[in-house]
Amino acid sequence: MSRTVLICDDAIFMRTMVGDILQQAGFEIVGEAETGVQAVEKYKHLRPDLVTMDIVMPDMGGIDAVREITAHDPAARILMCSAMGQQALVVEAIQAGAKDFVVKPFQPSRVLEAVNRVLAA
Amino acid sequence: MRDTARYAELFRTESRELLAEMDGALLALERAPVRAHVTTLFRGMHTIKGMAAAMGYDPVERVANALESRCEPLRAGEEPLNAAVISLLFDGTDVLRQCIEAVESGATEITAHVHRMIERLAVSLDGQAPAAPVVSEVPVAASLLGLPLPAAPDAASPDEREVAVRLTADCPLKGVRAMLVLAKLQRLGSIGTVTPPQPSWQDDGFEGAFTVTITSSTSEAQLEAAARSAGDVARVAVSAVLASGQRRLSAAVTRTVRIDARRLDALLELAGELVITRDRLLRTVEGPDYAVDSALVRVAHDTARLVRALQDEVLQARMLPVAQVFDRFPRLVRDIARELGKNVEFLTEGREIELDRSLLEAIGDPIMHLLRNALDHGFEDAATRRQTGKPVMGQLILRAVRDRASVVIQVQDDGRGIDRAAVLRKAHEHGLVTPTVHELTDAHLLEVVSHPGLSTTREVTSISGRGVGVDVVNTRVRALGGVIELETIAGEGTVFTMRLPVTLAIARALLVQVGDETYAIPAVHVIEAVDFDAHAQRLVGERRGITVRDEFVPLVPLSMRFREGRRRSLGEESLEPFFGEYVAIVESSGRRAALLVDALVAQQDIVVKPFDSVRGAAPWFSGATVLGDGSPALIVDVSSVV
Repeated sequence: MSRTVLICDDAIFMRTMVGDILQQAGFEIVGEAETGVQAVEKYKHLRPDLVTMDIVMPDMGGIDAVREITAHDPAARILMCSAMGQQALVVEAIQAGAKDFVVKPFQPSRVLEAVNRVLAA
Repeated sequence: MRDTARYAELFRTESRELLAEMDGALLALERAPVRAHVTTLFRGMHTIKGMAAAMGYDPVERVANALESRCEPLRAGEEPLNAAVISLLFDGTDVLRQCIEAVESGATEITAHVHRMIERLAVSLDGQAPAAPVVSEVPVAASLLGLPLPAAPDAASPDEREVAVRLTADCPLKGVRAMLVLAKLQRLGSIGTVTPPQPSWQDDGFEGAFTVTITSSTSEAQLEAAARSAGDVARVAVSAVLASGQRRLSAAVTRTVRIDARRLDALLELAGELVITRDRLLRTVEGPDYAVDSALVRVAHDTARLVRALQDEVLQARMLPVAQVFDRFPRLVRDIARELGKNVEFLTEGREIELDRSLLEAIGDPIMHLLRNALDHGFEDAATRRQTGKPVMGQLILRAVRDRASVVIQVQDDGRGIDRAAVLRKAHEHGLVTPTVHELTDAHLLEVVSHPGLSTTREVTSISGRGVGVDVVNTRVRALGGVIELETIAGEGTVFTMRLPVTLAIARALLVQVGDETYAIPAVHVIEAVDFDAHAQRLVGERRGITVRDEFVPLVPLSMRFREGRRRSLGEESLEPFFGEYVAIVESSGRRAALLVDALVAQQDIVVKPFDSVRGAAPWFSGATVLGDGSPALIVDVSSVV
């Protein structure tokens, strides 16, 4: 029984890339969300072991999605996916309850290190 | 699927090896209570836990976790080892082995048997904790041999410790990572002082080194483990804060030795080659042609990790403060100013900022050029300054500032500023801008003044004005992987800004294919890479572009750019639609562009070999590299293509 992941990003490329990295490491991608609203809905429905969350998404951004998800499930394990130059937003996301972060462009080893940290904590 | 199977296989082999090591350690502990064996045991449990978590093997993870927790007080030296504990650990390890074997048959449920073991471990831990005094410095061996424990001076009150943390050099968003480290420490005790103060962590200058004091009853090892668990931590040093305020002398005291600079260069060169070889090794063992030999794959990954650490250390060893170059200039500036009869005060700022020594050596000349330019053209004579109400004494500032992954070096004067009208006239004369351009922005101005052979001084002086100054600076800085910016206000002065990478040698890059060639785009400039939809491009003004996150980003077809020998005149763009498979969105000096490429190849570390600053050569590239398969690739100079 592998760990389940919900991937939230508005770019297909990024979803595919994160998905490939995690799938290769034995995770099961149980869902994908393109907007913050979708992310919250799918989290409630799927209860994944891990969520990867883009910061900038249409229709509710990643940070608000983190707030809503942690309000619903304080134990939610959320990994922020940030671009360069979004330091202040990442700080906000961590304060909102995200557990760790990775910075684009992604390096598979860094993504997996972060994921394992989040799951081990 | 193949990959999952591969990881499962890796997990099985590795955990079996670890179990064998743990058995060995337990047997050795039965004979003699040597602390190193406890460490081996602990590490094995911890590694298995981590792997099991990654694989989703619940029972394995939970048993390993229970074992690890049970071992923690032993490892920290808080609890003496005795026969009962060792026997319990033997039993626990047996159950762990059963769980690992069960994975193979597909069983992932936690059986009653497993559950009982987890409980036994937990109960034993609870029963132990309050009984034993907390003394972190006593070696396990002493207490086992029945020696009396030295009375801990303040066993009742938790110690105040100082935890010094340094994040890895390539850690992104150091300020946020530092926050995570602090949060991990906070769980173990109460935090006292934080240096530098936390608000400054989000500043660009924060380099990931900080110290906190914590009042906590946990061991040094636990504090260190907690700090490390936040990730991207290079070093942790825990030391006691003594009542007198004196720091305990420890191995952390910096000692220095002199080393021949050529040795450092050779070391870096070798580390660079090693990085390339590492990438090739990883690609080979991960490639489809390779028959999986899990032991080899594991060794390859360990090697890769060590190479990264080695690279970090070598780069760190090469950093020198810019003062080494800055300190050459006061005398030169004074002499030149005197020769020109100008009254100038010269100031340096940020002398302590560090830069790789190869960069440091390379920036001496460009700085000299800019200082000379300022002295020669920038400053008015005393009479003019007096007339315009300026202080007679001019001010020339040479400044270094750390800004994220770059070091910014500025030469600032409070002189007359560059005469835009005169430069524009010259530009028109030389046909450097289209006749329709009537005003030069700072960026255009820089381009024109750095054009070879252009000078606005009427007479050639012995000091500068030969029209090569800015040109040479621009070429040199670009060859180093940096960019140069210019800001000038008429009557108030001019600032030349050189933005340089902190280290030169090894950089992360996105490899792309354009035509038959592979090119490297430095990852610091890459925001993202996406599929290119040829129908989505539109024309805004004279530029073709696409919309990315509600923002219009101009398209740059790399294949066309690379075919052009040199930059076309300003303000002229193709009206034909562009084709390509992918775009890499890049940013340089606040400008974005979508680079059209045929394929995305990989992301990897490359060893940068900068071009010699030959004028006019390869305008779109800042250097070259050799890829893992031995083929060369040009490094795209993002600042010149956007």
